[in-house]
Amino acid sequence: MKFTRKSLTWLTVVMAAVMMTLALVACGGSEETAEESNVLVVYSAGPGGLANSIAEGFTAATGIEVDLFQGTTGAVLGRLEAERDNPNADVVVLASWPAGMGLYEEGLLLQYTDAANTNLLVPEWYLDGYLFGYSASALGITYNTNVFPDQPGTDWTSFTDPQFQDLVAMPDPSLSGSALDFLAGYISNNPDGWSLFENLAANGIEVAGANRPALDSVVSGSRGLVLAGVDYMAYADMARGEPLGIFYPASGTVINPRPAMILGSTNSPNNARAFIDYLLSDEAQQMVVNAYILPGRTDIAAHPDRIGLDGIPQFAIDWDWMMENQEAINAQFQEINR
Amino acid sequence: MSSDTTKLTRNFALGLSVLLLTVLVLIPLALVMWRSFTPHGDFELLGPLTVVTQRNLLEVLINSLLLGALVVLGTTLIALPLAFLAARTEIGRVRWLDLVLLIPFMTPPYIGSMGWILFMQNRGLMDQFVPIFGFTRSTFFSMWGVVLVMSLHLYPFLYLILKNALREIGGSLDDAGAICGGSFFYRLRRITLPLVFSSYTMGALLVFVKTISEFGTPATLGRRVGFYVLTTEIYRFTSNWPIDFASAAALSSVLLVTSMLVWYVQSVLADRYQYSVIGVSGAPARLEPLGRWKIAAWGYVFLTLLVSIGVPYFAIVGTSVMQIRGTGLVVDNLTLSHYAEIFRSGSLANRALWTSLRLAFSAAILSLLLGTFFAIVVSRTRGFFARLTDVSSLLSNTIPAIVVIVGLILLWNARWVPLRIYNTEYILVLAYTVLFLPFTVQYVKANLSQLGTSLFDAARVTGGTPAYTFRRILLPLIRSGMVAGFIMTFIIAVRELVGSLMIRPPGTETTATYIFQQFEQGNASLGMAMALVTIGVTTVVLLAIQRIPTTAEL
Repeated sequence: MKFTRKSLTWLTVVMAAVMMTLALVACGGSEETAEESNVLVVYSAGPGGLANSIAEGFTAATGIEVDLFQGTTGAVLGRLEAERDNPNADVVVLASWPAGMGLYEEGLLLQYTDAANTNLLVPEWYLDGYLFGYSASALGITYNTNVFPDQPGTDWTSFTDPQFQDLVAMPDPSLSGSALDFLAGYISNNPDGWSLFENLAANGIEVAGANRPALDSVVSGSRGLVLAGVDYMAYADMARGEPLGIFYPASGTVINPRPAMILGSTNSPNNARAFIDYLLSDEAQQMVVNAYILPGRTDIAAHPDRIGLDGIPQFAIDWDWMMENQEAINAQFQEINR
Repeated sequence: MSSDTTKLTRNFALGLSVLLLTVLVLIPLALVMWRSFTPHGDFELLGPLTVVTQRNLLEVLINSLLLGALVVLGTTLIALPLAFLAARTEIGRVRWLDLVLLIPFMTPPYIGSMGWILFMQNRGLMDQFVPIFGFTRSTFFSMWGVVLVMSLHLYPFLYLILKNALREIGGSLDDAGAICGGSFFYRLRRITLPLVFSSYTMGALLVFVKTISEFGTPATLGRRVGFYVLTTEIYRFTSNWPIDFASAAALSSVLLVTSMLVWYVQSVLADRYQYSVIGVSGAPARLEPLGRWKIAAWGYVFLTLLVSIGVPYFAIVGTSVMQIRGTGLVVDNLTLSHYAEIFRSGSLANRALWTSLRLAFSAAILSLLLGTFFAIVVSRTRGFFARLTDVSSLLSNTIPAIVVIVGLILLWNARWVPLRIYNTEYILVLAYTVLFLPFTVQYVKANLSQLGTSLFDAARVTGGTPAYTFRRILLPLIRSGMVAGFIMTFIIAVRELVGSLMIRPPGTETTATYIFQQFEQGNASLGMAMALVTIGVTTVVLLAIQRIPTTAEL
């Protein structure tokens, strides 16, 4: 198409006029009437398959339709923040406990103290009717057995060695809530923690995408191993026949309860409560187990093909410290890896 | 009907179109500008600049400009020899070449880049089939790969412009040069190149704008290699924690101003370097026999096609039939299960496909109505508001799509907007309509510009009512433009990526977001199968609907 100079000058004048008008007009607001619909809007971090089957199970059990937005923890938080003026979600499920505590601290959550089965949850995975750790993932080291027939390395620091140059991947903490928790957990447990990530960056670590792309680069063999990836994804791929192995360093790792929360802005508090109850029910917990994720309830056993909660060495975790510092830690990590 | 009523109708129609376009296009863009000048709530004259410099986003801006320049260079290197061969040698007699060259251009860039990534990555298809090219991998997974993939997507565009320019110049000037004893290179330098220059600059600047506006390739390949540009950063700021609309708006303004500047430069150049060639229209360019250059010339054509179509499509098709990615493309590992999944009623993929078809169809209908209306209004009115309608109805073709989308978010997600369509599927229909409205407007306007007033005068003299005139004279004459606009809107909207990613409501997947997610989340095979189904569906629609105008004209 053709634009003459004249029409461009013109357009600029018109746009300026529209901007001025907007600046004058842009005020005031509209109030919504609260009424309980038969639709529940759920924003959920991955894995997609589990989120979908839980939503379908919930609809089958209660008749309440679920509108599901499924993305990474970063994408879910981003959407919440973008819609702050115009909130839309009723229930939020994240893959990062501190991220959930962040929402709690901001006063965005609705309390629900009478939820069923909370007494059966791992005690640290429940926050006063606000955060429900209905499941958890552990962060391990997953490697391609075609590239490494034997377990490569023993500890997180093994992989700064030149023999692992350009072979290591890690999920991006700005996208993956669990990777961010690992990062914060590692830094808080190791005074000199940042040197590990600086050395890894110097050794050509690939930080791209959330857990799935990082693991995918290992499955396809384009990278040899992934640090701090969620373990359930590796177990699920192994069950599909992909050539993978996984281990947890003895020095410890982060086990990451995945919180479900009700937003204070919800128009459907009753449906939202029913959803939380469903998440903690036998049926949903079994779905969690089938996805190779650690169940939130202590009375339900983990999948027989995976290592259970007791078998995984853990860092000492201070969730409050992690919540307060995660944004700064993420910023520093991005600085190192850009 | 008295002339007063006609005038009244015209003014009403004009007022309505100005109102519609203000809400659809102008307010969203004004909001982007406004937000970028108020990064902290108060008006700051240098707002966008402070954001860009403070947050180390200068590098991102430079990356975008550098990429634009390199892709112009890349497309020129590929397209210039090809255009010359097609315009001046026997290769020009081959009809299928122009059709085949539409394939890379019509393949959505994100799908093309995914194909390239799947081909080039470690233990990918290249390692399996042509491992001797392994040395190119490290160069590919850098900025140069982004340049290559984008050049291979955009070169057909420059090729068509250059070829038409070379053909139009005709043979007689060149003959005159030859008769006067000018050597081949002398004629090229003193006759052909100066005449082609203005068309080339037009095309090159368009390629530049298209490159800096493009989201698909930087979002797939660029992000993987750590090459960040304006569009990918805008996406990150609007969709991922921590959200920063001020920065997104600032970068959007920078992108908007840059592309507007390029258009401005283009219009200046077009004014200044337009040669008027006198009396050459009669003699078409000779198509010279190639002689001993035949093999080299055809070799070049086939190499270009192999690299720009063969490689990505081989990888896309190959991946879509692979059972387990780790095993590679071997007979035991072949499966059609991914296609079965897409056609399995009720599966996520199937729902995404239907959603896209439904939304694209709605958007195409809406654009058809609005676009035809605007085009008629523009052709029948004069003055300030007529030009405003003209320019703003074509605006979203000129400015980067991601800027339009940011504007739509800022407007429709605002608390003070009474019409609450954000977070519903209507917002996607609206976004597609706003983005692709210019197609219908342009095509219908092209139809209208060929009509004189005599037919309408005749209708009036013989007593036809306005409705009758519209139905029996105007409509049949602009039908082909309307159909073309409808088809373009539909097939582009079916696989639109950036708007779908940024403003889709919860619970809604489109083909593009599905492909993008499957690719990111490791199920590339399913994503590629969906990509091929989408491309297939759009091609079928294109071929099927193309027959309608011809039969309608009879």
